Amino acid sequence: MNVKLLTSLISIFLLCPLIYLLYSVIGLSLDTFLYLWNNLLLGYSLNTLYLLLLTVFFSLILGIIPAWFVSTTNFKGKSFFDIILFLPLAIPSYIIAFTYSDLLSYTGPIQSIVRNNYPDFYKYVNHDYLQIEILAFLMALVLYPYLYTACRISFSLLGSNYINISKNLGMSQFQTFFKIILPISRVSIFSGLFLITMEVLNEYGAVKYFGVNTFTSGIFRSWYSMEDINAASILAVCLLIIVSIFFLLERYSSSKYRYNYKPNDNVSGNYSTNKFSRTVIYLICLFPFILGFFIPVIYIVNNVFKTINVVDFSELINLSLNSFFLASVSSLIIVAIAIFFQYIKKISKSKTVFYLSEIVSLTYALPGAVIALSLIIFLAFLTKLIGISIAFGSVVILVYAYVMRYMAVGISPLRSSFDKHPETFDDTGKNLGMTNFKLFKKIHLPINISAIYIAFILCFVDIIKELPITLILRPFNFDTLAVRTYEYAIEEMIAKSSIYSLIIILLGAVLLIFLRKIINKGVDVS
Amino acid sequence: MKKLFPLFALFILACSDNNSEQIVNMYSQRHYDVDQLQYDNFEKTTGIKVNVIKANADELIQRMKNEGENSPADLFITVDVGKLWQASDMDLLQKYNDEGLTEGITQSLTDPNGFWVPVTYRSRILVYSNERVQESDLSTYEDLANEKWKGRLLVRSSSNSYNQALLSSLVANLGEEVTQNWTEAVVSNFARDPKGNDRDQVKAIAAGQGDVAIVNSYYIGLLLSSENEEEVNAGKSISVFFPNQEEGQRGSHINVSGVALAKNAPNKSNALKLIEYLTSDEAQEIYVNNTYEYSVKPNIEPNNIVKEWGTFRKDPLDLNMLGSKRSDAIRIFDAGGWK
Repeated sequence: MNVKLLTSLISIFLLCPLIYLLYSVIGLSLDTFLYLWNNLLLGYSLNTLYLLLLTVFFSLILGIIPAWFVSTTNFKGKSFFDIILFLPLAIPSYIIAFTYSDLLSYTGPIQSIVRNNYPDFYKYVNHDYLQIEILAFLMALVLYPYLYTACRISFSLLGSNYINISKNLGMSQFQTFFKIILPISRVSIFSGLFLITMEVLNEYGAVKYFGVNTFTSGIFRSWYSMEDINAASILAVCLLIIVSIFFLLERYSSSKYRYNYKPNDNVSGNYSTNKFSRTVIYLICLFPFILGFFIPVIYIVNNVFKTINVVDFSELINLSLNSFFLASVSSLIIVAIAIFFQYIKKISKSKTVFYLSEIVSLTYALPGAVIALSLIIFLAFLTKLIGISIAFGSVVILVYAYVMRYMAVGISPLRSSFDKHPETFDDTGKNLGMTNFKLFKKIHLPINISAIYIAFILCFVDIIKELPITLILRPFNFDTLAVRTYEYAIEEMIAKSSIYSLIIILLGAVLLIFLRKIINKGVDVS
Repeated sequence: MKKLFPLFALFILACSDNNSEQIVNMYSQRHYDVDQLQYDNFEKTTGIKVNVIKANADELIQRMKNEGENSPADLFITVDVGKLWQASDMDLLQKYNDEGLTEGITQSLTDPNGFWVPVTYRSRILVYSNERVQESDLSTYEDLANEKWKGRLLVRSSSNSYNQALLSSLVANLGEEVTQNWTEAVVSNFARDPKGNDRDQVKAIAAGQGDVAIVNSYYIGLLLSSENEEEVNAGKSISVFFPNQEEGQRGSHINVSGVALAKNAPNKSNALKLIEYLTSDEAQEIYVNNTYEYSVKPNIEPNNIVKEWGTFRKDPLDLNMLGSKRSDAIRIFDAGGWK
């Protein structure tokens, strides 16, 4: 079968619900939309922008600097830091938001202890912590690993050649970082930031709790409060367009700079440290981990011990299996499609495939609920069309929605990995008479294997945290860990939700550690 | 990939047990632990298994609408009667056509159109700081617009359906213009931007960030029965006030958690049995003692914590108005700048 045709078919399959959503928007009455436009959208958009910029700012600080030190500097415990810096990714943003607001609240441990023991100091901790700036910081705490990973791979792959040259030119580590490494790592940095941006745009639970109205809140406001699903669709389409523009701009600017990377072949080119700089590095690397993982997990574990006697363990196992099954099946499908796309793109150099693989990433920007909504509308349309009823609440539909939603997470690491390897590999392989399949099996699969693991694990961790799609599309009596966590959390029973969130976090953390080991083997020889 | 397909097929099979057991399918906006307890009890006594999907009411409505005639839903249960009105307005429900079903239920809580049956109710009340507010300072919802509350009011976001229902009741009782002015004045009295949930408003009073909050009654019960001592203390630092109780005033705003038959309910007779069970004395006792809501039957007393607040007069408004006035309420919220 023609591969281009096949990629097109897969893309259409993935995009069908959205295309139908776009189509259904045409000719709708604009009343509600205009109303939103006149009253709310400006404020919502500004809030979104502010939240986004702050989160990106915090993520840059939390992600890039440790990545730089871990990649290029020799210090004791480096591989340990490399693992722990990754772990906050296992924590869903709504869990970190609920955990910290509970921890910092009037009845939480910090305020209570100070109030009861040091009443004179109480005025210093008695604040309203539900602020947009704090929300941005909390989100950055669990999202920066996207950036960290992307930079880590890039910084390591850039290897010592660039660093050596800049050393020979007499540049300091600081100068090398800003003048050389940052500019040539921009593709990776942007791919990390893109994922963070999408996550922020998509966030709903935490944002709502903090009283921050974002663009996504606008979608839900028109859908839930104004009962106007059309306006919600129009807003979703707007969001899609905004993200596409973002995306195209980034693509366009990065396509002007193409760097071919060489694997790190000289490890001794790394920087060494003295005692003072080591201490600074330790602090810099510990900070994101302690706030983003250690403290929330300790708090959650403490809550687990408090509530352990009311936990229904058979149910817990059941929920864990559901989550595990959904996440692994969906991630496998995503990774398979993503590899296929990237590989076809690489060997065929086809523009069509290139655009298709970019377009299917865009769905990541849409809030999960919108994906679910578009699927529901689309399936209803299909049902009418073919006259056979399609079960909405089935695991297959759920997986379909996950694949749509998380395609970008799978594609992103694979793209940077595939793009990095010089095309001479393909030419040499072809000269040796290899078929495309053999070329893939013998060359691209092995050299991209770490990116494949990264893609799988990132998807897995994301899906296991997923909420709105699961809530809307799941079958009867079908719960996942994330759903149960959320149900307790919004009912203001944080303690009871803790065992479920702990399993999500542990499952994610174990996988991420595993992943780290693989990446280190594949990428960083040190 | 091929290896996955058998696994997949197996899972789908495992998920769809199509034997002839007795079932009833519930689309539920309620997600309290007590609900599962009720369904388990129901299955024990009748042998009918309750299948549940829990999600946001609007998502469930959308799902029912798109599933159309093929919808497996038998029952739709919500915590906001406005959503039941909306579902009936969208032609997703059928009348229960059984007078016996509402027997023993307080008349004013039932649906004059015969679509939904009330299961519990709750009031959206005022709570105030014991330190900084006298009970005599408070009187009505309308009075919250008074300048004396400047910088002292706490309430959550206008996207919350309990607030939307409250404002709908004001629109229905006072008209749009008065409600609009009220909203603007109340917003200018806010102690901070709306955020958090109902319990957070109580905590904010305890922390001294505001003096009076609008919250649902049962949250106070939950706070006072919390295992966290600090939450109990926060609950004790405030008192409960039922607004609009004076003679000539309409009574406090209430909202109903209700259940309705889906239009194409495939297991209608089982569904009716479940409604009957949920409104039985036994089930009502379980509700009042676990969620601190009020029973829809006058013979079932509230939980002791709730009883201490005393009895109150309910706003006798047709509860369907909480749905039909909703879009006006939203517009007023937006125009008034209630975030």
